[in-house]
Amino acid sequence: MIQLGGVTPKARWSMRLVAAATLGVLVIGVLAVKLAELQLTDGARLAGMARANTMHRIVLEADRGIIYDRHGAPLVTNSPVWSLEVIPAELPLDARARVVELAEFARMTGRPQPEVAATLEAADPYSSVRLSMDLSQAQELAINERLPELAGASIVQRAVRTYVDPLVFGHVVGYVGPLNDADLKRLGRLGYQPGEVVGKVGVEAGLETLLRGRNGWADVEVDARGQVVRTLDTQESVPGDSVYLSLDAPLQRATAQSLAAGLVRDGKTAGASVVVDPRTGEVLALVSLPGYDTNLFTHGISQADYNKLIDNPDRPLLNRAIAGQYAPGSTFKMVTATAGLQEGKITAATMLSCPPYLNVNGWIYHNWASYSLGQMNVAKALATSCDTFFYQVAAMVGDVTLAKYARAFGFGQAKNIEMPGVMPGLVPDRIWKQLQCGVPDLNSDACRWNTGDTITFGIGQSYLLTTPLNQAVYVAALANGGQVMRPTLVDEVRDASGHEVQTLHPEVTGTVPASAANLMAVREGMREEINPPYNMNYWFRAAGVPADGGGKTGTAQWGGSGLDLPTHAWFVFFAPYAQPEVALSIFVERGELSEVEAAPIGVQVMKFYRDNVTAIRAGRAQGAFTS
Amino acid sequence: MTATAAWHRLDHLQLLLIGMLAALGLMTVYSAQADWARQLLWVLLGAGAYAAASAFDYRRLRPVALGLYAGMILLLLAVHLVGHTALGARRWLSIAGFALEPSELSKLLLVVLLAAYLSRSEGVSWRSFGITLLLVAPPAGLILTQPDLGTTIVFVAVVFGMLFLASARAWQLFSLVFAAGVALPLLPYVLHGYQRKRLEIFLDPTQDPLGAGYNLLQARIAVGAGGLFGQGWLHGLQGQLGFVPERATDFVFAIFAEEFGLLGSLVLLAAFGLLLIRMLRSAAVAPDRFGELLAGGVFVMILVQMVENVGMNIGLLPIAGIPLPLISYGGSATITTLAALGLVQSVALRRREVVLGDGALGTITRRAQA
Repeated sequence: MIQLGGVTPKARWSMRLVAAATLGVLVIGVLAVKLAELQLTDGARLAGMARANTMHRIVLEADRGIIYDRHGAPLVTNSPVWSLEVIPAELPLDARARVVELAEFARMTGRPQPEVAATLEAADPYSSVRLSMDLSQAQELAINERLPELAGASIVQRAVRTYVDPLVFGHVVGYVGPLNDADLKRLGRLGYQPGEVVGKVGVEAGLETLLRGRNGWADVEVDARGQVVRTLDTQESVPGDSVYLSLDAPLQRATAQSLAAGLVRDGKTAGASVVVDPRTGEVLALVSLPGYDTNLFTHGISQADYNKLIDNPDRPLLNRAIAGQYAPGSTFKMVTATAGLQEGKITAATMLSCPPYLNVNGWIYHNWASYSLGQMNVAKALATSCDTFFYQVAAMVGDVTLAKYARAFGFGQAKNIEMPGVMPGLVPDRIWKQLQCGVPDLNSDACRWNTGDTITFGIGQSYLLTTPLNQAVYVAALANGGQVMRPTLVDEVRDASGHEVQTLHPEVTGTVPASAANLMAVREGMREEINPPYNMNYWFRAAGVPADGGGKTGTAQWGGSGLDLPTHAWFVFFAPYAQPEVALSIFVERGELSEVEAAPIGVQVMKFYRDNVTAIRAGRAQGAFTS
Repeated sequence: MTATAAWHRLDHLQLLLIGMLAALGLMTVYSAQADWARQLLWVLLGAGAYAAASAFDYRRLRPVALGLYAGMILLLLAVHLVGHTALGARRWLSIAGFALEPSELSKLLLVVLLAAYLSRSEGVSWRSFGITLLLVAPPAGLILTQPDLGTTIVFVAVVFGMLFLASARAWQLFSLVFAAGVALPLLPYVLHGYQRKRLEIFLDPTQDPLGAGYNLLQARIAVGAGGLFGQGWLHGLQGQLGFVPERATDFVFAIFAEEFGLLGSLVLLAAFGLLLIRMLRSAAVAPDRFGELLAGGVFVMILVQMVENVGMNIGLLPIAGIPLPLISYGGSATITTLAALGLVQSVALRRREVVLGDGALGTITRRAQA
């Protein structure tokens, strides 16, 4: 029947079929050649692009170190904040859905919709755009719930510095902000990335390298939507070190309150105070008023808020305690006294007159009193703050020697404290005067040092400038027998695991070339000033604080020459008299009567110190370190 | 024809190649994280359509070709009237919960129509040429305005290819090419915004690497990243992480090429090449001009889709929404392609034989004796 095995199909290949087959083979050949080119020649390069597409390095930000007071009370915390971030390229393509989503963003962030749209349009479509900083936890939860419906949106959590009592601690602790060119110049190449946060002022800036820690990273594989699929490799971040300041938080608060109360009482708006331990140089309190809300800066300060700070005539951003430079006035008289005694021009017993004025080469130099206070020794001259006494001593010592003693006490020296922006003040001398006088002929009268300059130098005027910090260090040196301590804000530094990496080493930066007896004669004058029969004693009695110590007020003129110049009020103090453990300076900007305006503030600070000395001097609570 | 006889007459190589390509397609669709179970269902349904079409005597299609044509027009009109819109185009009809894409089916119906019409006589008269164009114009217009540029391109290619295979005169073919040359500059005015963009991007891919050129670039990166041996099934970085767009449909080849490399891609191209040659062989052994043109038409239809799809995946041709036959995800395309291949098998089954006197086969026609 059927012989299937013998069936041979007979193909009839027409020219056109052959042509079609040839074309098909040729076209597939072209595809094959192009494929080979793509996969072999360009393969490695394109594989690299595929990896670049899918591998991302995520920076794991290190927790910044915490700043505590001496007892472990935190002055700043790292608090989590949530921000809404959007990748524009992942927004819905459909115009209507896009508008709906933008409206949703506007509602969530409380920003006008055109602004949201403009922000997203202006940005790189494939990078994350931050639509809102600092969502509240309630907002964060509300948005999180809606997130699956919002294409391209995500919530990112970051740690933000939150400062405790910024108006009180702000000038010491400082604040952090995004890295800028100036920071890069200051910090050098320490591996900072753009957009990182760095300390800008205060201890945050001064101890940046300790607080910063080391960022880690994670290499992750991401999908086309930017979602992490898996983690390939990680390097954990290392948290920054914890810093225990020498500051006592309650004393700092009391100092700020006392100063603020004093300023308000006398209608003043600015001032500063520094309290140090004269034995170690530890700063127990450092206040500059007015303060400002440092938290504004970490959360992204608005231009309006910033302008308000800049335009404020009281200059709240200026840390007067370290950077405010003012004439010391009568608080300088201890330097003149020390120089006179040590140079042998006077002795503790030398009696000089205290006339209402002194006539020097036809120029009249007044005492604060318009009558003669009679003959007096150096202690009484200090206690009564007799200007004419110290004119005479200054004239005997001479300006060069006076400058030498001023420098020995640390005047004109930018202290190496753990904050940037410390100003040195100024110790003038002949060459300085000639160089800065601004007249072409440097030998003209206007440029030459004259006797009047020397005489007013003796009472802390002339061209002399100091800072509240320098004043505190200076009075500490008087108190501790002539040792100029390096002021320090840091008691201890511990790494993240609690190991001590740095501890307090009191550092003597200079010694006043004066005998113990001469310094004691000077201190005696300061003791007398706060004791009966002098008016100053009133404040101690009123506050119930024993007048055990030494103090000196000063009302320094500024703003030119002549009578009735504006003044600043000073008070410097140390206690107790026998073995001083506290030295402080009080400064009232535009203060008119130092005895009434500055001294009571110091007495209030001293009262708090005495009432709380056990707590202030107690060892640090154990719990503080483990937190 | 007995089952045994049919089995012996079957184009086994064609069946084997189809099975192999469909299996690779399922693997790739699975890797592309599309609904592979559903695609398996489509393949099984398509296999049924293939078997039915093979068993079916294709010659019985010829009398009903005009009716099928009318049905195609109605379907395409229905798309315009009640179809679903997605990605700016109205292409889908919802039938019993399934989304049917009539433009896919229309490719095959066009082949049947042209085979039936052009087989009425030897060669192509100018009159037949004109009528052919008039017949094609309404469905082509309906598809272009969906808009579906990809299927329109397939239409134009099928018309040209089948006229060529039907021994159309050189001038007729030239005039078609000329008309296309005139129409091309007008294309930008007809094209939808995104289609024009695609064309511009193809002509200059660097103008917008992150916007509309993104798809093209990501697909090319995926193909290139495959290298010689590929990154392994389910291990293509670009594809698995979603960087390749439309990875189960238009850009399924990029997924395949990334995971199976140049070697795998060449195997795929070779399989397509062999399958295409087998289809031409079916045309060569066809017992009648209708069968020859039917197999030849399906050849053109699959060749064009394969070349355009692979070509756009490797940046050789502009992007047009054309699936890779037997590989891409999609019910309408899969079933249509398998049905079309079944018809080609039907032609092969009913091929001319060296007659051994068994009239029962009943396959001796036309010039078989020659």
